[in-house]
Amino acid sequence: MFQTACQEQLIPGDTLQHKWEFAAEAGYAAIELRGRGDLHFRSRLPELRRAAADGVPMPTVCVDMPHFVGAFDEELRRDAVTQLKSQLSVIAELGGRGAQTPASYGMFSRRLPPFTPPRSPDEDREVLLLGLTELGEHARAEGVTLFLEPLNRYEDHMVNRLEQAVELITAVGLDSVRIGIDSYHMNIEEADPPAAILAAAPYLGHAQVSDSNRLQPGAGHLDWPAWLGALDAAGYTGELAVECRLSGDPAAALRSVPPFLHQAGPQRPAAGQAAAQATAGQATGQAVTGQAPS
Amino acid sequence: MTAPPLAGTVDVPSAPDPDADTPTAPDALRRAAGRVLLRNWTGASTVPSRGLYPHQWSWDSAFIAIGLRHLSVVRAQRELESLLAAQWGDGRLPHIVFNRAVPLDAYFPSPDFWRSSRAGRAAGAPARVETSGIVQPPVHALAAWLVHRADPEVSRRRGFLRRLYPRLVNWHRYLTRRRDLGGHGLASVLHPWEPGMDNSPCWDGPLRRVEPAAAGSFQRADLDHGAAADRPTDLDYGRYVRLATDYRDHGYLDADTPHAFVVEDPGVNALLIASEHALAEIATALGQDPTDHRTRAETLTATLVRRLWDPAAGMFRCHDVIAGRSVPERGVSGLLPLVLPGLPSDVATALMRTMTGEHFGLGAAVRLVPSYALTGNAFDPSRYWRGPAWFNVNWLLERGLRTHGRHPLAAELRRAALETAASSRFAEYVDPYTGEARGTRDFGWTAALTLDLLATDRRAGASDASREAVR
Repeated sequence: MFQTACQEQLIPGDTLQHKWEFAAEAGYAAIELRGRGDLHFRSRLPELRRAAADGVPMPTVCVDMPHFVGAFDEELRRDAVTQLKSQLSVIAELGGRGAQTPASYGMFSRRLPPFTPPRSPDEDREVLLLGLTELGEHARAEGVTLFLEPLNRYEDHMVNRLEQAVELITAVGLDSVRIGIDSYHMNIEEADPPAAILAAAPYLGHAQVSDSNRLQPGAGHLDWPAWLGALDAAGYTGELAVECRLSGDPAAALRSVPPFLHQAGPQRPAAGQAAAQATAGQATGQAVTGQAPS
Repeated sequence: MTAPPLAGTVDVPSAPDPDADTPTAPDALRRAAGRVLLRNWTGASTVPSRGLYPHQWSWDSAFIAIGLRHLSVVRAQRELESLLAAQWGDGRLPHIVFNRAVPLDAYFPSPDFWRSSRAGRAAGAPARVETSGIVQPPVHALAAWLVHRADPEVSRRRGFLRRLYPRLVNWHRYLTRRRDLGGHGLASVLHPWEPGMDNSPCWDGPLRRVEPAAAGSFQRADLDHGAAADRPTDLDYGRYVRLATDYRDHGYLDADTPHAFVVEDPGVNALLIASEHALAEIATALGQDPTDHRTRAETLTATLVRRLWDPAAGMFRCHDVIAGRSVPERGVSGLLPLVLPGLPSDVATALMRTMTGEHFGLGAAVRLVPSYALTGNAFDPSRYWRGPAWFNVNWLLERGLRTHGRHPLAAELRRAALETAASSRFAEYVDPYTGEARGTRDFGWTAALTLDLLATDRRAGASDASREAVR
């Protein structure tokens, strides 16, 4: 029931139009862009505008940079904010939904030597709140959203679990900052990934998918029906953006994903059985209008 | 579920708060039911309710697995696997498997009352997990078969049926051999909690013989979470405690205990037979000979009709084995044999007439079939199993109606069940007339069976439906 998007670098083809031809054929509903630094993403605007005009759906962009909003180095942190602001503006101009970033990636891990980061948790939080607030305000002005992605403990030391992202987002207090969840990181960090999804339901903004081994969904051992069922139960309606490595023949691996996720996802109730329509809202605390067909 | 528009204004793309879910049902109902099951999951099984029932219950788990298979086949399999892992050496499947992380006073009777690992040693109680010593209706093989059918490939890969089958066979063997206390070829229950319908008026007569445990000798926990008027009385509770204490003090050995309460219940035996049919399907799927299971199902069906069918009442009756007489009450367990495909057609027809008649009122007086006759002296629309409608019972009866070709009535019952589940916030039980919620909310099997009713295409033809009766 969810629509699937694919990150652009995974798809064969020279241009976004060629990539979209392949992706649409394979059952994808959109392409997720990757945003490099040095304002490279902005420099792609002519290319992106042409692709949009040619009907390529590009609702989201995921950062592809060497430094992030949580950088230890103030200059790099400032640059990350500058880059992300630009990316949010570009995705807004394309009519998209938002941009996804982790707090940091590959900068520090408490699980690897030297184990103790140079900044205290309080200082980390202060730095993140500063960046997220500035970016959230920019996103709101642009009518898009910043998605904060918790990464696993080996890739980031600041935001690993959904509840940590929720805490930061609550402190920022802007609807324009939401969580961008990733099934692979959640599998490592969350005690019960579907329960974590439900607990963070009001804050979910975007979802990226890859399996337990970072390969394409279906190539690992995640309980996809439970994960997707939770996302559905949480009321999420965005895309599932494929961000992964591919095993075997890449084209075949890419083609396998949309049908796999469709099969694993929640199935619509049997047609013609709208019995519960008249009252289902009461289970969800909502008034219901209209009469149920019998 | 549509992609955001490429051009034009983009809305704030946050997911809505689930509690503010737009009720474009049945999608909204499915999501709400899914939330209950995901929140009640403990890692290996599902609690019926976070507050009132914080452990794993036997027949709850079976009904929950039937719905959970639509959300996660792997979890549905684990639900049954974790329950069957607590099976006793004599084959019994305990009615509660205790979660050791839950404080002792969260539920009564607690592990220190049952003392299964010590008191049940001779009966083969597991040493490493605490359980109760009594049982609940054997819906498990039916559930296992339905869970298997939801994704046979995952089932085969995980060896689900292969691992469960011998345990399920032992479970049925326990019921048909050690529990044939009446000696007539039916399984008996020896505590009112065993048929699952704890305080049904059907037990009032047989219970009168039981000397209640002293009021101060135990502390109920159920009243901390439920309204007293919706729950069994203190006097009932004293008798429940007495029966369980006597059983425990005799090592839970069926042959050694001087039972004060022995009843042949048509519901328990009907579910045993439905599950025996399922065992035949499971055996076939495993490449084994299903003949014994089919024969046993047929024999049990014939015995059930011969011994418990009351043609004048148009329904099955409980039999008080100790008193040697039929229980003159109309409990809903007397309608449950309708799930059996092998029922003589005149019996099935009479059952459906009773269900829609003055005593149970389906299609006329009530929304859902009550747990006890509307006309009965003890009828109470609010008190647990003395009148309220329960979703597992109605799910079984809906299945039975389809099995016997009454599709329009089945569809009506299905619709009423879904409406009531939604409006009652997945209540544990409801007033059969008004559908008003009673007991706890966000109840496991209510949510699970809602998912099952939503997911299963009920428009199948009669022959499909009767085949599905054992699937």
